Amino acid sequence: MRTGVVAVALALLVLAPLRPARAQFSFDARRYGMGGVSLSRDGNARRYNPAYRAVKNKNHVAGAPKFSIPVPIGLIDFFKKHPINQLGHDPMFSPESAAFNPAALLNVIFNPPIFYEVKKAPTPTNDVQFTIGRNQLIVDLGATKVLIPEQDFGLGTTSRLLDAGVSVAGFHVGVMGFLQYDVKFTLDSTLRNFLTNDSTALPNTNYFVNTDGTAQTGFAPTVSYAGRLLRGAGGDDTDDGFYIGGALHYYFGATYARGIGPAGFTTGPPPVLGSKPAPLLNGNLYTSNKPFGKGVGGDVGVVWISGPFEVGLGANDLGAELTWDHTKIQRFFYNTVTNKIVDSVIVADTTSKTKLPITYMANAALQMGTGTTVGGDVLNSGRGTIIHVGVEQRTGPFAIRGGVSRDQRKKMQFGFGGGLRFGSIGLDVGLWTHSNSLSTQRAITMATSISIY
Amino acid sequence: MKGLAAAFLVLIAACGRGRVIFNVDVLSFLSASDSVKSFNVLGGIPQTDSTVSRQFFLPPGFGKSSVDSVTATAAAALKCTGGSGNVRFDVFFSKTQGSVFTGTPYLTASSGPLVAGDSVQLLPPTSVSLADTVFNTDTLWVGIRARIATNVGPNMTGRLRLQNLHLRIALQDKLF
Repeated sequence: MRTGVVAVALALLVLAPLRPARAQFSFDARRYGMGGVSLSRDGNARRYNPAYRAVKNKNHVAGAPKFSIPVPIGLIDFFKKHPINQLGHDPMFSPESAAFNPAALLNVIFNPPIFYEVKKAPTPTNDVQFTIGRNQLIVDLGATKVLIPEQDFGLGTTSRLLDAGVSVAGFHVGVMGFLQYDVKFTLDSTLRNFLTNDSTALPNTNYFVNTDGTAQTGFAPTVSYAGRLLRGAGGDDTDDGFYIGGALHYYFGATYARGIGPAGFTTGPPPVLGSKPAPLLNGNLYTSNKPFGKGVGGDVGVVWISGPFEVGLGANDLGAELTWDHTKIQRFFYNTVTNKIVDSVIVADTTSKTKLPITYMANAALQMGTGTTVGGDVLNSGRGTIIHVGVEQRTGPFAIRGGVSRDQRKKMQFGFGGGLRFGSIGLDVGLWTHSNSLSTQRAITMATSISIY
Repeated sequence: MKGLAAAFLVLIAACGRGRVIFNVDVLSFLSASDSVKSFNVLGGIPQTDSTVSRQFFLPPGFGKSSVDSVTATAAAALKCTGGSGNVRFDVFFSKTQGSVFTGTPYLTASSGPLVAGDSVQLLPPTSVSLADTVFNTDTLWVGIRARIATNVGPNMTGRLRLQNLHLRIALQDKLF
């Protein structure tokens, strides 16, 4: 029982709204110090903006390092508290242990202890009170009520698992793998009212969460072009100019599934605690009988570089709608008579369509002279927009950085840091607030990395 | 049932190591006839019991949790309408009906000597028990006992009205 309950708690907490802003995770202390801004032209820039294929892959900032190596101080602290040779018996990883705390484990998952947590986010520790009577069951979650989502919550992202091919004269022919999933949950108003308004549970009432989840994967033969359309005043000796990029994908979906419907429980006749609530499950499941759902979509992007100024805008999977010619639709429901989940085929073979969400990134950077660089980006990787703005000031061997960001939960985060360079090696430190833990308060991470120039 | 437990526990998980506390209105689980007991006992009887036991429920899924403390409070009103004697008011809790009235009562209060026309308030001292395994369950039995001893003479008659019976169960909540 304990393991089952803990497993359910873990699964649902993973999907809770207090999820990590993983898109902001980086091993680069400089990026932490600038509030999440990346001034390099690799990584996200090339992923979301095909025009960057035509731009030389180098850093915006003169004198910036070639690459960075993280210094995982947080791991030292973590393994000191959780010896690696005792992980098998560590209460943190043993659900059977009386001291196991799913919230603590999820905080580690959400916020990997690579770097040192200067300030850990306190988890709400208020008591939870149940008021119980013959016809009464009230839950008072106290301050924890704020963790209950007001709107839908879930997880979703679009990933490109591979992008291989050959390039000739700006043209690129290759194959791209894709994986997209989106899981959305919405608390029914009755359940929400019960959890947040200290209202009593009612007999013969459904309490449920509406679920809508889709996952699809496949590959896409791709033809793309990226080139410098206009050259700037600096000519070929500089990166100045206007770049365009575009890609046309013919998607071959390997498989997909979509589940939609309510899940929860139904209370019995009065008294509300006098009988076991019956599981409530009544949903439809769409699955592809055969691979090769087909569709066409594209990416576009532009980059403009003029001296110290650079701006880019790219969008992916425009118009990407896949048609699955062989889809099976099944209904799943929990039969309260047999206490079993029963499935039945509603339609054995039909056509259905899925979409890949449009993802995009806009970025800009400006070298203001005297060693000052300002940058920013707006990124949406499928669920929620993240905004980063940061600045770096270099003076001789020293660098100081600062920045702000708005994460996927629309919370403001702040970064601050500095660096010191010794010849071809530098040491960078970045302090960054985040809300990656199961808490309403921010934590502060200190990232450290060594830069190689 | 697991769904309800899981839903609760998921939310409680967000509370870190906060305790889970059950405030149980045990009286509400008793019917009107259970909570008001009239008695009519022959005079000169050294001891006779009038009892009632009923099942009540706790939220499921916490049966394996460790109980930190249990606080029980009760109040009853006793009215003697005839004869004389004394009444002891006892409250028991048990996992099974068969064992309700065995062992030591959680709450007990004695009326002292009563004669016809007396009305007394029975307020047993609040009991606090620690790490009590009786409460490691989803369903519990409560037993109310009026132990009556009458003096030689006319029948002792009267009425015991249970006015309040509450439990406060604090779990150690090692799940989270």
